[in-house]
Amino acid sequence: MWKYSKKLMDHFMNPRNSGQLLNPDCHSEVGSVQCGDAMTLDIKVDDEDRIAEIRFMTFGCAGAIAASSAMTEIAKGKTLEEARAISNDQIVAFLGGMPEEKYHCSVMGQEALELAVADFWHRRDNTAEHLNSILREIPANLAAALSEGSIDIEHIHPVRVLIRLTGGDKEAVVAVLEKELQNRTGKKVEVMVIL
Amino acid sequence: MKVYLDNNATTRIAPEVLDSMLPFLTEKFGNPSSFHSFGSDLMEEIEAAREKVAALLGAHAGEIVFTSGGTESDNMALTCSTSINPLKPGLVTSTIEHPAVLETAECIRSRGHPVGFSEVNHDGTLNMDSFKSLITEQTGLVSIMMANNETGVIMPVEEVSRIAHERGALFHTDAVQAAGKIPIDVRAAGIDMLSISAHKLHGPKGAGALFIREGIDIPPFMLGGHQENGMRAGTYNTAGIVGLGAAASLAAGHLLEEKGRTGLLLGRLEAGILEKCPGAIIVSAGAPRLPNTATVLFKGVESEAVMTLLDIEGICVSSGSACSTGEETSSYVLTAMGIGTEDANTALRFSLSRYTTGREIDCVLEVLPPIIDKLRKISPYANR
Repeated sequence: MWKYSKKLMDHFMNPRNSGQLLNPDCHSEVGSVQCGDAMTLDIKVDDEDRIAEIRFMTFGCAGAIAASSAMTEIAKGKTLEEARAISNDQIVAFLGGMPEEKYHCSVMGQEALELAVADFWHRRDNTAEHLNSILREIPANLAAALSEGSIDIEHIHPVRVLIRLTGGDKEAVVAVLEKELQNRTGKKVEVMVIL
Repeated sequence: MKVYLDNNATTRIAPEVLDSMLPFLTEKFGNPSSFHSFGSDLMEEIEAAREKVAALLGAHAGEIVFTSGGTESDNMALTCSTSINPLKPGLVTSTIEHPAVLETAECIRSRGHPVGFSEVNHDGTLNMDSFKSLITEQTGLVSIMMANNETGVIMPVEEVSRIAHERGALFHTDAVQAAGKIPIDVRAAGIDMLSISAHKLHGPKGAGALFIREGIDIPPFMLGGHQENGMRAGTYNTAGIVGLGAAASLAAGHLLEEKGRTGLLLGRLEAGILEKCPGAIIVSAGAPRLPNTATVLFKGVESEAVMTLLDIEGICVSSGSACSTGEETSSYVLTAMGIGTEDANTALRFSLSRYTTGREIDCVLEVLPPIIDKLRKISPYANR
């Protein structure tokens, strides 16, 4: 038996935030070649770029499961920038240490987080790109809805965008943008408006 | 409740064995090689133990050399018998032998001698085509274990020894896991050398023996005093040897009865696991196996995690997972059988003994399924 700390055993036996999310905002899958471990991570991000919900699934030893659980606890509520900076050592320290031979088990959690954040940014970039091109092009249906009005982007999330609308027909603008975004991104993107 | 199902690692010393040893750790401390009778009288005890070990194997007492255990016996058999004939310095063994054989084989190879490692089949049995193809004119020794420590698969030693002899090679078998669990007759099986270890059959640690068939002349392994006819120097481990003798007698006396009883308990364990842990796979289920060993793959659940939870409940088993030992690879035995890392890391080994009770089996069947279930729920592999 490894000399696992009390806190590590607690996270292993009662893992926090285990499972999967329906329609996560980002997702990652990592595996460790060394010991054949594997992990999946689902995250939902709020409009302030903070991790609102996080769930993991891990195939691995007690150390790997505890490290996954610890990582989710540390990451929850943090902004994506902050979460990406979470280090392996931080996870190990959070668990009150780990046998040296098991250090590599903690790496997986950190890697999964890094990849999930990258996945979020990639998805957001994709949505942003399409929104920007719509606003550049101003297709005829949008021009009609906007009439003399104008749009400013306030915040972009992969599946939600917040715009400031000056003038124009709010409901028509929302309908046109949602339709165009759906066509171009292949997914439902909610459009919210501040006037 | 303490449940000990790791008897292929080591066994509890039998009370009868301990009783037989105690005088030699207390008042009868003499050196059997001494001139005075206080010491030399103990030689009778040594010889009595030799008779008992010989009886377990169907050998003559003069064919038994006492060693410090299975590892030394394997080292001695391989190293010494490949050095007797310069025209036949080669060795053929298998990929799933105990490290005592594998590492010695590597050492022999590093000295420039031809060494071949036979493949095994998916069910853990010896791949006879691979085995036969490796034997050459230069092969002086074939070493194939009698039964594998991880899977419990029993190897066809009679057939292997016949093939070895046909090709002019000697045949050694590591019977450390088999001895005391299945009948052994070195004559009928045509075995030239055979290793056993006391602590795997309810004897003490640090004692073992190598059977060397009469007429085979190999050089000594350990140099020094004239003990064991000069074959193995070193002051007699009197208590250990007496303990080995007592353990051998005990095993021989209960062999068939225990084989049946342990086999029934193992069957109950396997059936219970298959029923209560859907998706579990018994490794080498269709192959001839020891009556006490079952390795089970619990797909999607890493075995170190399972063992950690079982340990809390007082249940001792072992695993093929790299993560349980801190090693870099998972079980080489399961890997050699073509089982991938992902599945090899889910392997748990249950090994029973004559002290295993039905209550212990029931306890495992009660504790284990919820553990597997709990870990499966958080495993990304569980549904593959």
